[in-house]
Amino acid sequence: MNPLLSIKNLVKVYGKDTRALNGISLDFYPGEFIVVIGPSGAGKSTFIRCINRLVDPSEGEIVFDGQHLEKLTGRKLRKNRAGIGMIFQHYNLVGRTNVIKNVLHGQLSNLPLYKSLLGLYRHEDKQEAVELLKKVGLQDQIYKRANELSGGQMQRVGICRAILQRPKLLLADEPIASLDPLSANIVMQQLHTISREKQLTCIVNLHQVDYAKKYATRIIGIKQGAVVFDGVPSQLTEAMIREIYEGKESQMALKNESPHLPGALTDNERSHAMPMAAGQNDE
Amino acid sequence: MNNKAINYKIPIDQREIKRPLFIMLSIFALLSFSVYYLEISFIEMMMGLPNFVMFFFQKFFPPNAENLQHYIPAVIDTLGYAVISTYISTIIAFILGILISENTNKFKTLQVVTRGFVSILRNIPFIIWGALLVYIFGIGGIVGVFALILVTVGFLSKSYAESIDEISGDKLEALRANGSSYLQILFHGVIPEFIPAWINWTLFAFEINVRASVVLGLVGAGGIGVLIDTNINLFKYGEAITIIAVVVIIILLTELVTNSIRKRFV
Repeated sequence: MNPLLSIKNLVKVYGKDTRALNGISLDFYPGEFIVVIGPSGAGKSTFIRCINRLVDPSEGEIVFDGQHLEKLTGRKLRKNRAGIGMIFQHYNLVGRTNVIKNVLHGQLSNLPLYKSLLGLYRHEDKQEAVELLKKVGLQDQIYKRANELSGGQMQRVGICRAILQRPKLLLADEPIASLDPLSANIVMQQLHTISREKQLTCIVNLHQVDYAKKYATRIIGIKQGAVVFDGVPSQLTEAMIREIYEGKESQMALKNESPHLPGALTDNERSHAMPMAAGQNDE
Repeated sequence: MNNKAINYKIPIDQREIKRPLFIMLSIFALLSFSVYYLEISFIEMMMGLPNFVMFFFQKFFPPNAENLQHYIPAVIDTLGYAVISTYISTIIAFILGILISENTNKFKTLQVVTRGFVSILRNIPFIIWGALLVYIFGIGGIVGVFALILVTVGFLSKSYAESIDEISGDKLEALRANGSSYLQILFHGVIPEFIPAWINWTLFAFEINVRASVVLGLVGAGGIGVLIDTNINLFKYGEAITIIAVVVIIILLTELVTNSIRKRFV
């Protein structure tokens, strides 16, 4: 199988000699749910932002769907970015715009300016936006301003916006780091379920190791800008975790504070816990 | 009881007392020098006060409200200048504000050049613009509107730019990440977030412009200010005081209106 995203020797130097990424080479295959873990300052965020060029890498190659992204500019870059959805730690919604418009922002790149200004989104886009919002249990908040929502609800809008891009790849930079444990649980579950449903390849930055183990098909450990672990969750031993977080043990959020998160689920339990938390309110 | 503890003083300020003392002395020295240099006599000022009050009450009272209805066109003129100049300024200032803000303009040179231009507009007082423009266009309304636009553009561009800067880059990052074009980011990300600040600054500018447009009349730029000037020059103090009262009412009403708009929309 050809990789969907292939990264070769990625280096990012901030300023003169702050090396955030120290030559990362990774291949990502279609359908993978990859969780990147590592202490803060390890370069996780820089890494994920280099993929869609929100951060310009200093060296290296990024091949996404057969296209070299590292040299692209202008319209071509925007077109490729449209194929990559992104979810942010701080949701990054436009607060004074209502929920459905925020979701429809996912389709802006496919719309000429005048149409987007007049709100002439395609019917099927609007329909999908509504369906997605229903799926994450926000059908009653469609016309609310985004800044009237709770954090968990905002992040679910963020997920809908990213999915509406109909991307091939979904990036999530610490999607649950600013949420309370209960909302975090809902958001993570919905992110996982939707991406499985749409058979998306996902790269998620997390600092909660338990979530990583629960959802990932593959875990990547980053430490000081380099990959120190790359394998399936079962290979991630306590010793390995300790090595990744060496010197920053306080950040090893091994146990989530949430009482709702079972450590390990059997397949049966998992399918039970899986149905979307539709309608579930996290307030 | 421990005697040592009682004798030991605990200062509640870490800083030395000398510094504030020095600052106070310098300010006082500055004041003394100004008074000395300008040969201003406070005694003379005090002595003059009764005269001033007498003059004011004798000449300006009773107010002469006979021609009240004749002031109406001038009042409308004055408000009209403020409306037109604020309207045109807000459009120009919005474009310049976008060029000044780091959030919306990545070209450093263009940023600096625009900022410099706007700063010149802003730092020349409107009364000087008015006096200059009267020489170019002659006495009349266009001078008032023009002078107000120049200063308001200067003021609003900077304020708009600061408000656009305050919109967190995070929000725009999401639109950048999903492939939206520059103009789409501007219209769907920047502008919705900018609207409350835009309403606030623009109403504020309108208030300032109403006052300024009265004052501009005094240098011959049209409006109700002209009437004040003419009547005083003709020693018709009773009429002048009525017009001044009208001006005060206009300004108060303007503030009332802008405040209620603010409450409703922001």
